Amino acid sequence: MRHLWILALITAALVIAGPLFLDRFTVNVLTRSMTFAILAVTVDLLWGFTGILTFGQAAFFGAGAYATAMVLTHLGSTPGLMVLGLVLSIGLPVLLAAAVGWLTFYPGASDFYATVISLVVPIVVTQLIYSGGTWTGSSSGLVGYFALDLSLGGYFRLAGLSLVAVVVAALIFVRSDAGRVLTAIRDNETRCAYLGISTQKVKIALTAVLAGVTGFAGFIYANSSGVVAPENAGFVFGTQLVVWTALGGRGTVIGPALGAVAIDYLSAQLSGQMPFLWQLVIGTLFVVMIIFMPNGLAALATGWRRMRRPADGVSPELVALPPRAGRGGPAGAEPLLQIEKLEKSYGSQKVLEDITLEVRRGELVSLVGPNGAGKTTLMRCMTDGKVASGGSVRIHGTGIHGMVPDQIVACGIGRKFQVASVFDSLTVAECLRMARVSHESPSFLRSADSLSLPQAAIEILRLTGLDQHLGREVSLLSHGQKQSLELAMVVSLEPELILLDEPTAGLTAAERATIGKVLVRLTSELGLAAILVEHDLDFVRDISSRIVVLHQGRLVLDGTVEEVVNDEIVKRIYSGGDHV
Amino acid sequence: MKRRLVIAALAGSLLAAPAFAKDPILIGVPVGLSGANSVVAPSVVQAAELAVDEINAKGGVLGRPLKLVVADDASGAVGAQKAFDSLVFQKNVNVLISMETSAARNAGLPIVAKGKIPYIYTSFYEGHSCSPYLYVDAWVPEQQVPPVVDYLKGKGAKTYFLIGSDYAFGRGMLGFARKYIDKTGGKVVGEEYLPMDGTDWTPIISKLKALGADALITSTAGGAPNVTLTKQLRSSGVTIPYANLAVDEGTAKSMGKDAAGILISASYITGIDSKANKDFMAALKKKFGDKARTPNDLSVPEYEGIYLYAKAVEKAGTTDTRPVLKALGEVSFTGPRGTIRMNKQHHAPLTMYLGQVQDDGSVKVVKSFKDVDPGNQCPNLK
Amino acid sequence: MTLVLDIITTAAILFIIATGLLTIFGVLKIINFAHGAWLTVGAYCAVAVGDLGWNPWLALPVAFVTGAALGGLTERFIVRPLYARPLDAILATWGLGIIIGQLITLGFGRDVQFTAALLPGTADILGTSYSIYRLFALAAAIAIGLGFSWLMEGTRLGLSARAVIMNEALARALGLDTRRIRWVTFMIGCGLAALAGTLLTPLTSVDPNMGVAWLVGSFMLVMVAGQSFAALALACLLLGGAQVIVSTYVSPILGGITVAVLAAIVLRISPKGFSRV
Repeated sequence: MRHLWILALITAALVIAGPLFLDRFTVNVLTRSMTFAILAVTVDLLWGFTGILTFGQAAFFGAGAYATAMVLTHLGSTPGLMVLGLVLSIGLPVLLAAAVGWLTFYPGASDFYATVISLVVPIVVTQLIYSGGTWTGSSSGLVGYFALDLSLGGYFRLAGLSLVAVVVAALIFVRSDAGRVLTAIRDNETRCAYLGISTQKVKIALTAVLAGVTGFAGFIYANSSGVVAPENAGFVFGTQLVVWTALGGRGTVIGPALGAVAIDYLSAQLSGQMPFLWQLVIGTLFVVMIIFMPNGLAALATGWRRMRRPADGVSPELVALPPRAGRGGPAGAEPLLQIEKLEKSYGSQKVLEDITLEVRRGELVSLVGPNGAGKTTLMRCMTDGKVASGGSVRIHGTGIHGMVPDQIVACGIGRKFQVASVFDSLTVAECLRMARVSHESPSFLRSADSLSLPQAAIEILRLTGLDQHLGREVSLLSHGQKQSLELAMVVSLEPELILLDEPTAGLTAAERATIGKVLVRLTSELGLAAILVEHDLDFVRDISSRIVVLHQGRLVLDGTVEEVVNDEIVKRIYSGGDHV
Repeated sequence: MKRRLVIAALAGSLLAAPAFAKDPILIGVPVGLSGANSVVAPSVVQAAELAVDEINAKGGVLGRPLKLVVADDASGAVGAQKAFDSLVFQKNVNVLISMETSAARNAGLPIVAKGKIPYIYTSFYEGHSCSPYLYVDAWVPEQQVPPVVDYLKGKGAKTYFLIGSDYAFGRGMLGFARKYIDKTGGKVVGEEYLPMDGTDWTPIISKLKALGADALITSTAGGAPNVTLTKQLRSSGVTIPYANLAVDEGTAKSMGKDAAGILISASYITGIDSKANKDFMAALKKKFGDKARTPNDLSVPEYEGIYLYAKAVEKAGTTDTRPVLKALGEVSFTGPRGTIRMNKQHHAPLTMYLGQVQDDGSVKVVKSFKDVDPGNQCPNLK
Repeated sequence: MTLVLDIITTAAILFIIATGLLTIFGVLKIINFAHGAWLTVGAYCAVAVGDLGWNPWLALPVAFVTGAALGGLTERFIVRPLYARPLDAILATWGLGIIIGQLITLGFGRDVQFTAALLPGTADILGTSYSIYRLFALAAAIAIGLGFSWLMEGTRLGLSARAVIMNEALARALGLDTRRIRWVTFMIGCGLAALAGTLLTPLTSVDPNMGVAWLVGSFMLVMVAGQSFAALALACLLLGGAQVIVSTYVSPILGGITVAVLAAIVLRISPKGFSRV
């Protein structure tokens, strides 16, 4: 962090001194380049960090620039109106972005869709500008209004200091606990949702806030250049921003900023003489970089740094949370989960039919059945209110129909997936912190020194030795460690009901025993309920309090371990099921 | 160094000019080498090179040679900012003379005002662009539209249908056309626009056919939309008189049969029967040979603009901005389009020609209108 | 009557444009952002055929073969390394689009090019005279649609492609050469795009940027259609129809963004679009 501030101060000093020794041409060109670099930083936050590939920043930039220029042209340029222009240049893009975000980010929307919409937005905004007649100046743009009374050097400093401020703010943010949520969404959006994080809301908020920053850059541009034109809002400009970000190095903040300044400055120097060749060179460079060096030029620097970095980074101190009040009521009271006549069909094919099931506190219910019996589908029906085709699922008596996963998680359900679902680019500690985001808002400024987790989660970490590797990047963990980490994350949610889809698949016998121990303790001692999908009947027999058998989409048996294990039907299903 | 070589190559055969003792006068030409204007830009650069060569061959201006500095404005605002910044503050040119899109011109004007140098805009446009530093030697709607409407009216047209691209020029031209038609007793039955990059004119054409006007006036963006509209009009069997306010001779020629019969109105047509025009065409041919681009309504004003600037500098006796700006409104030059004088609120009265595209693609002058007034473009300027 | 013809033929043209994109998106789950460039390549094939003095109809097979050949190279060298990174594939194909555009500019110049009109004139249909070429476009769209359903339903390649669509891992496990299927599919998609470019030439000008104007509409139609050609046909008919109606009765300017905006709203309300058709 110290390095960051020193670097920021040096850059700011350079920016302030710049106009004294740079010629006028360079000052003008760099003023624009630095304004555009602010946009590249916002593109990087969206694309590099959060995984939203967007061409739409141009539209928000245009909206901000036009808001300013229209106020100055049609209303006047008194200080009061200048402030109005500033407010509108930020507010308008924020509103626009919130609307676009709502349209783009809904549960189940694909990444492609977001990208294509981001292409439509600049086209629509440009069309509005063209159709705006004298209000927007149509294709000619607006010119000849009185802008902020600054010298060329003044604008240079305004743009430069704004860029430094945005870069510093962005760096602080992405390194903070809140900023890591973005990377978590990029790595594994589903897991985020099942940790109770509303990824849609995060994305919409991010889009809106960054649109505000972009609009502010538009305000600077409208003032410093004294003209706005439709192409400022066009998708060609939007794609340029992405090109700069890609070449500079996505996911580094500084890379895209430098990339934007360097390429824009170079193009001012070179493209004037050889426009088509310049485009060709940039295009070729871009394709080659995307294929062979997806992290841009900055990757050279960070790659070198990474090689020198030890495997384990900084690890925070673990702090045990006091047990939640009102928990651990008597086992067997009011049912926690009630499933009634649940159905799921794909067209005419029924995958689940007439499932009725209740689960109470303290129970560890195992769900068994041959492949294709519908076990995983049943799990999905319990965690996503849009999956079931009929019947009802209630938690604490509340129906979950139509709810999205993060809402259901908030009702007290945690789900562990079959294949370990964690965040590969985060550290162990950061992954665990993600599980706490829905309970305590993370800091936007810093990375906390301590990590508060429920005692049970800490125990899982201790038992599996993960507490020794809190600072290690998850991609370096073994398969078993990842499974344990995910279980610890789910437990950190402090759910009342845990759904586990084959938590022991691919684990060693020792790891298996450890997990079994943890599960028994969670249910019988802490009063949680758990539903476990499992193939290993021995494991099931050892830990379950009840077993439910699914076969061909129907619930064929629901009883104690003894009842089920000795049941003839189960034996038949299992002996025949292996061949199905 | 390499960059300079490129400039030199673009600026043409300056090396052949006689040796001058004094520093050259630098003429900046920001033009759309790429983007929408890149179709016409080469002809503009050729016209500029020819004018500079001719003037230098006669000894230059005030004993100083002229020298072109060409820069690409990418036909848009952002590119223009780079080009203008580079020309005004890096190359320190004495004057800017060029045709550009309206967005590029507008983007350049604040830079010109900061650099305080004269700027001669040589492209026809929608009008009313005013700055003390700006002079215009090409036409505005007030000059171009009346000949067309008057001619159509003379042929018996009472109802008109207007089609344009949705941008300042398209709307400006048709807006003026509508006013003029109303004033002269005609009736506009429809006025429709498609976005600049629109490709399907079908619903508009169907409307035109349903309403059945006597004549059609179009003003699309140059190049692609113009061609697309004309193709689709012809394939739908529209045969009413058709005046196109935005087609240039070259495009009309290469459109072949589809363009036949189209009326165009311009201040320059290659078929102008004057010695100045014939000399100009011969000189162009001699200088560029096979590579010579067909001169047009955008390249000839560039040629004349450079001459007008040379005359103004001679009259002022200096390249200082203030006296040159004053002289620019007073001098005149007789070129391919006739005698040009930018003495009406920084704009120029022009002789307008009405042409009709023939079956072989050539344009025949049907009628000419002498010294059409540009009207009140900039009442605050003299 | 004219309105009905306008709607049907507009839908047909949209369908022709979008098929190449849908082919690639459906099987490869990749959006080919160079689609506009392939349209342009196809159109310039028509220009080249004209320059060589060949029969203008020959442009159709020439465009398909050129598009497919270039598509094959593209898949091999640009797209194949990026299947695991679909968003990067968008960017790489976009960059490729820039490169193709600049190469065409360097080769043919910036100028608007002209091609011979394939079917000039109008025909009388139930009392209205209508452009023959637009009617031909309708026939071409139907032919492409039928040809494609035959390819998908009736050939081994189609069967394999459908297997890849449904479950690629399984298809590979069953011994299908999925890598080859992807390659051939990409070639066919690019070939179709180039073919569409050629079919467009009588209706539009031909210049290095001509493809871009068609790009966004095609993207949105394909997003709405998902993987099915029937859904694409329906989307073209409904959204194209809306475009014509908005253009005719409200404003052609709004008509220009109708397809994109309506498609976005359709997807917001029903995320699966028309793909269940």
